[in-house]
Amino acid sequence: MNTGRENRRLVFLTVVAAILLSLLPLPEALLPFKPYWVAMVVIYWALETQDMMGMGLAFLTGLVLDVLSGSLMGMHALSLVVMVFLVQRFRSRLRFFPPWQQALSVFGLLVNDRIILIWITALLGEPMPTWKYWLAPLVGMALWPWIFLLLDRMRASMRQRSS
Amino acid sequence: MAHTESSGSSHWFGGEGTPTARLMMYILLAIVLMFMDQHGHYVPRIRSVLELAFEPVFHVVGWPAQAIDSLGAHTRAREDLVSENQQLKQQLLLTAASVQTQAALVQENQRLRNLLEATRGRAYQFKFAEIMQVDLDPFSHKILIDRGAREGVVVGQSVIDGLGIVGQVEAVHRHYSSVRLISDPDHALPVQINRTGLRTVAFGSGGTSHLLMPNVPLQADVSPGDKIVTSGLGDRFPPGFPVGEVVRVQRDSGDTFAVVYVRPFAALDRGREVLLIEPSAPSEPALDEQP
Repeated sequence: MNTGRENRRLVFLTVVAAILLSLLPLPEALLPFKPYWVAMVVIYWALETQDMMGMGLAFLTGLVLDVLSGSLMGMHALSLVVMVFLVQRFRSRLRFFPPWQQALSVFGLLVNDRIILIWITALLGEPMPTWKYWLAPLVGMALWPWIFLLLDRMRASMRQRSS
Repeated sequence: MAHTESSGSSHWFGGEGTPTARLMMYILLAIVLMFMDQHGHYVPRIRSVLELAFEPVFHVVGWPAQAIDSLGAHTRAREDLVSENQQLKQQLLLTAASVQTQAALVQENQRLRNLLEATRGRAYQFKFAEIMQVDLDPFSHKILIDRGAREGVVVGQSVIDGLGIVGQVEAVHRHYSSVRLISDPDHALPVQINRTGLRTVAFGSGGTSHLLMPNVPLQADVSPGDKIVTSGLGDRFPPGFPVGEVVRVQRDSGDTFAVVYVRPFAALDRGREVLLIEPSAPSEPALDEQP
């Protein structure tokens, strides 16, 4: 029971950290490499816990991100809900993948997400983005094992402290 | 199949429906929100309230960049500073020279206007603002500046940098405001071609590298290199401020209009400081009428 509450606090903290990280200004040259931090954290929680990250929370997180990053209201909400849905759908399989295979599936999720975003922004009259647009999912894939380990470590230490 | 559908629809708002049904519900909700935001129904107002609540976040996010900046300023070599100082002095001298000639021109203009008994034209005042170091969504075409209602910023104010028009103030909060850039595909800027006086409208293209003028007649006299300035029509942007330079004119004989590509002068994606143009007192005669 207690670990549940601890876990909830950790979910909150990591999601907030991811949102801040995505707002953090980067030098112009690094901008296309910026991974979709919030999505990675959301994927982790949806994958590793049964009920901490549902579609409702993902939607809410997306809305907060929309307000803060100035994007169209509902855009990130949509993208994160779809992501959580897909993770939950294939959860039993994804969990037992070796790390590299899991990273590959995360890459798939992130690419799928970018396709959805392109579709929305095209409806708004934005031009087609350049090839650099597709670098972010690659960076996300490369970072996935590390983020996974980091969050796992944080959760383990949280559990130890509470017991 | 029939079973899952019925169980999905029976718990639509209970949060226990089948995942697919709940996904559909959320997607629908998101689409409705996006539509309402795009068309300005309610959502922008809710959003501006939320932005107010989240204001501290923007300041917190800006700290690391500020720290790095000040660190850089402290650790710069003395020779660098001296040479930069030298450079700035030269620049100042050059600017001062051109301003001097301008002062004569202004006087002459004023005299001619008096002869014609026309209005006295407008004088502008500027307010300095810094762009906040927050990385917004690239599709939002927005920047945040560190001046808000407290400093007298109002919605609709034009924003320029040292080179040209940047955008207009879209929302004002207590200590910061958001500025819509002219690169937004939904943004239209009334402009004029400086050489010929042809008036048209420049739309954002979604990219910061060019604007589009899709309504220029095929036979119009436009060529690459022409300077584009604001026309002042629509009373949003003051007239005569530089916007950009024509880089390409695309004339398809099948179309009614030529499409003109304009490279904006302002540093839309890499600026640091901007100027807000103060809403000016319309003209002198209005003052004369007062006793």
